[in-house]
Parts: sequence; structure tokens; C-alpha cells
Amino acid sequence: MIPNRLALVLAVPLAAGLALPFAGLRANRIAAAEPVWLWQALGAPAAIGIALLAVLTVMWGRVLAAPALAAWLALMGVVAHRLTAGGPDFARVSPGAGFWLGAVALALLLADALAQRRPGPVARLTWLAAAWAALALLLQGWGHVSILQEYAARYMTFWAEAQRHLALALGSFAGAVLVGVPLGVLIQRRAGWRGPVMGTLTAIQTVPSIALFGLLILPLGWLATHVPMARAVGIGGIGMAPAFVALFLYALLPIVTNTVAGLRGIPASVAEAARGMGLSPRQRLARVDIPLALPVILTGARIVLVQNIGLATIGALIGAGGFGTFVFQGLGQTAPDLILLGALPTVALAFSAQVVFDALIDLLPGARA
Amino acid sequence: MIGLNHLSKHYGDTKAVDDVSLTIDKGSVVAIVGTSGSGKSTLLRLVNRLIEPTSGHVTLDGQDTRALPAFELRRRIGYVIQDHGLFPHWTVARNIATVPRLLGWSKARIEARVEELLTLLSLDPAAIGPRFPHQLSGGQMQRVGVARALAAEPELLLMDEPFGALDPVLRGKAQADLRAIQRTLGTTILLVTHDMAEAIALSDRIAVMRAGRVEQFAPPAEILARPATDFVRALVGEGERAFRYLSLTPVGSLAEAGAAEGAPLPADATAAEALNALIWRGTESLALEGGGRVTRSALLRAGHP
Repeated sequence: MIPNRLALVLAVPLAAGLALPFAGLRANRIAAAEPVWLWQALGAPAAIGIALLAVLTVMWGRVLAAPALAAWLALMGVVAHRLTAGGPDFARVSPGAGFWLGAVALALLLADALAQRRPGPVARLTWLAAAWAALALLLQGWGHVSILQEYAARYMTFWAEAQRHLALALGSFAGAVLVGVPLGVLIQRRAGWRGPVMGTLTAIQTVPSIALFGLLILPLGWLATHVPMARAVGIGGIGMAPAFVALFLYALLPIVTNTVAGLRGIPASVAEAARGMGLSPRQRLARVDIPLALPVILTGARIVLVQNIGLATIGALIGAGGFGTFVFQGLGQTAPDLILLGALPTVALAFSAQVVFDALIDLLPGARA
Repeated sequence: MIGLNHLSKHYGDTKAVDDVSLTIDKGSVVAIVGTSGSGKSTLLRLVNRLIEPTSGHVTLDGQDTRALPAFELRRRIGYVIQDHGLFPHWTVARNIATVPRLLGWSKARIEARVEELLTLLSLDPAAIGPRFPHQLSGGQMQRVGVARALAAEPELLLMDEPFGALDPVLRGKAQADLRAIQRTLGTTILLVTHDMAEAIALSDRIAVMRAGRVEQFAPPAEILARPATDFVRALVGEGERAFRYLSLTPVGSLAEAGAAEGAPLPADATAAEALNALIWRGTESLALEGGGRVTRSALLRAGHP
């Protein structure tokens, strides 16, 4: 079996992953890490065995990528368990550069193996669900890995922040879709409005996110002090409201742009036929224009959803909560594991949202015409 | 009966359609022929009010069409366009059901109608009905476009270059099919084409348009025999006039008693086809199906008014 070109390229980071420190051992959670190589943790014979398995994985990447990645993650749990056994309670084992490099190489190998099969939308959703199930299972074995210890110390707040993060990202996303699509339809019909609307949205997009939060603190704070109703529903200068508004504003431009592009992409003959058949303006919009523009609109929505999940972390800076809370706490305490506790779930969420959305687009009837 | 009464459409100083009046008899086929920019498509779109006229109006069975909202009027008028404009996200059956659904027909009635139309257009309902437009050939798409336009039994069928996107072989077949369907259903058709041969083959009357005005409105034979203006004469093409004339005459009408060599010709073939066969076979006369024959001299005599 000759490995494909990508597998050969990925063999380099995989080899580096084996050669670099697999884990870092620290006396406590903020101390400097002491590198631990695989052979130190497991002994030379086991390390040689793992290296041989890595060669096999490169050769038969299509079949072995998934089990190899699972084994690699499980190995981290085993190494952590070994290094901490009998040691003091506050010693920490965190994944090292070797582990991350190897994991990324194997993940890319797996992604390539999956792409080769050209899975349909349902298959992709099934794979995603399977990946989540496998991850949940593998993390059971990570009890002695530092990130999971950070989680164990604050699992109550973790899920509360997860909920806030999702509420912030999904809520502002839904709001942007509800406003952006009608706005796109409107400016597609009234050419005169297109310039001002697009100009405003583009201008908003150029404001850096932290600056936008800052700009929103004043008007929303004013609103909270002068309108009792606003304060009653939780609107204030800091917290959820400015973060929500900022994410919503950032999300509008891609949604509106893609709505306009999708509507423009409708063939002239189809639009002509819809009028000629006697569909009323509302029926044309609901039955022909929107369904045909939907794949393009959803592409914009996907960008926004992924963007919002990522941007929502910044919301923690102004008290909006979310996974960003852990990132900024970790930065403040120079505790890298805590940063990862915020960053890794955000990445996983964004990735999953993208897979789910792409699958939904493919599931639209006639979308692949 | 459809009446176009002093229809005009002006864009600024340009008169796209300039005071056109035509009467189209129920059950007849009228072709509007003209060069590009002559206003023929604009005229067609004035009829179903895709374009509103600057002045003048259209009557449908004596009723002024301005009395209805435009989209309701269009549900009573079939519309076929060159690029067929099938809805890509709907199956063939759903495409054909477009207007019946708008009119609120029952599900059973719609299903029966879709099946009837697919069969009429020689498309297998079970095989073609569930497909999406991108899974069809060009000829099939064109036929589905016609089926969709006919679905709600329209009082009038408008066709804008309906065969323009087909290759010559398919076009000939599609024209013959349309003629047959029109005879079966008795639909009134107003058709736009730039191809005089197509107009002659399909229509009962031809309106020749130039710069927004109708230069002549007459049956094909008269257009050929007595072109009213130099423009009509040029459009008819003097080089092919005799053959076009022959193409209007069924060979059966030239039959005489007697026998002839060779395979008999169908009696509904045109005189042009008969002359072609005669030249190719190198004979003096041709046998006809159902008895009798047609001679060379009879064919030559039929080639001019």
C-alpha cells in the first residue's frame, strides 16, 4: 500500500510529535512545565511500539486514522495517570507540544480519509455525532490531565458559561438572520437603499470588536439608567446586552450580502416564469426567490454562526460570560490549562456548527442542481 | 376571441410597440414574426401584463383584462419562454402543478392533470414526474415548460421563442408535436418567433412586425403570395418562396387517380416533402398512402399562387 501524498506530508509532524515532549509535568498549576518524552513516561519498548504503529497509520491512513487518533487521545490519559501516580495532589500533567502536533496530524489524516469517501450530509452528521460520543468517552480517561482537572474544579460554572456562550452566539445569530434576510430582500428590490445600507454595515464591520463593545457601553448604559423597562429585561452598559448587540451587528453584513447575492443568482428565466405563471409578489418571494437563494443565504449564515461562536469569547471582557471567562481568567492567572478549558470547547463548537450547517445546506431539495 | 386594441408601449421617445391592433380567433394560432428589436416580445408581454401598456388594452372574450389584478390574469394565460424557466427546486410534477395549485385545485385533480399532460407530451409520468429539471434533456425541459403552461387549461397560450433553444432536429419534432396538441386541445396560441419558416409551419395567421408596428397581418399563404411591404418580402425570403408555399399545401390535395412506382407517401405529408422525394427518387410521380398519386407537374404548379 502506497500512502497518498498528504499522508507522507503529515508523517513529518507526526514524527515530530513523537520526538517532541509528549507532556509537561508541573509542580503546581502555574509553575513552569518540565518536559516529559513518551519513552520517559512509558519506557523505551512501548515508545518503539507506538512509533511502529505511527508508521502503519501513515501507510494505511484511510483505515487507521480514526482508531489512531482515539488511541493517541487515550494515551494522553494513560501518561497523565502514570506521571501523577503517587505524586503530590497539586502536581499537574498537561499535554505537551508533541501531543498537540501528533493530534493535529492525525486529525488532518482523519479529515482527509473522510473527505476521500465523499460522505453525504447524513453520513457527515453521523460522523460528527460519533466523534462527540468518542470524545466524551475518551475524556473519561483524562481525569489526571490538567485541563480536565481545571474542569473538575469548576464544572458547575463550566456548563453555566457554556449555556451563556451558546445563548449569546446563537441568539445574536438568530437575530441577525431575522433582520438580515428581510433587509437583504428589501435592498435587492430598492436599488437606492443598497449603497447606504451596505456602507453602514461595512463601516460597522471595520470597527474592532473591543472598540465596538466600548462604543456600546455608553448608549446602553444611558438606556439602562433612563428606561426602567430596559433595565428590567437586563439591558445595561456591560454584560450580555452590549455583547449581544455587537455580535448581532457584526453578523448583519455577511447575512445581508449573501441574501442579495443569492437573490441575484436566480436565473432571469426562472424569475420571468414565476411572474408569468401568475405568482403574486409574496408567493414569488416565499416559494421561488427565498428557496432558490437559500443555499447562498445559508452559506452566509454558516460564516456568521462560526464567527459568532468565536467572537462570543471576547464578550467575557465586558461581563457577558461564556467560554471567554475561562480564557481571560487563565490569562490573568497565567494558567494555560484554564485558557485551554475556554478555547478548546469554543473551537469544537465552531467546528461542529460548520459541519451541521453544511449538511443542512446539502439536504435542501434540488440544492445540488 | 382575443382583441389587442391600439396597444402602445413607449420608453421615453422609443416606441417599442406602436398602436398595434390584432384580433385572434378562438382556437387559432397566430405567430408574431420580426427581427430582433421589432417589439414582438414586448407585444407578447403586454398581453399578460408582464409589461403594462402606455395606452390601449387587451380583451379576453370581450372582457377588458385591466379589470383583474395582473397575477390573476396570468393564471388564465399560459406562458412559455425560450429558456423554459422551470423552477429548479421543484420536481417536474410540482412544476407542472404550479398554476393549478395557485388556483386551489384538489390534490386528486392536480395529479390526474399532471399525468394527462405528461402523457400528452410523450413523457412517462412515472419516470419523469419525480425528476428535477436538471436531470432532464433540453427537449424534455422544453416539453415540461409547455405542459406547465397548459396545466390550468388556459384560455390563451403565449409562447416567446419556445423552440429557440432546441437543435434543428428537436425543433422540427417539437413544432409537429405542438401542432398536434393544439389540434387536440383547441388552445388559442399567440407565438413569437424570428423564424418565418416556423411561423409558416405552425400558424393560421402571421403578424409581421417592424419597429413596433404590424406591417402585415394575414394567413401564411397570403404573406407568401402578396407581401404587403418590401420588409415582409425580405423576411419571407424570395429565394425560398416557392418551397415555403409548397410546405403549406398537403400533398393529398394534389392527388389524382392512378398508380406510381415506389413506397407510397403519407397523405398528410406536405407538397414540399413530396417534391423532395420526387427529385431524390428521380421519378415523374409518387404513390400516396390510401391510393392515388401525385405528379411532378401538379407539384410544380402548386409552387406558386
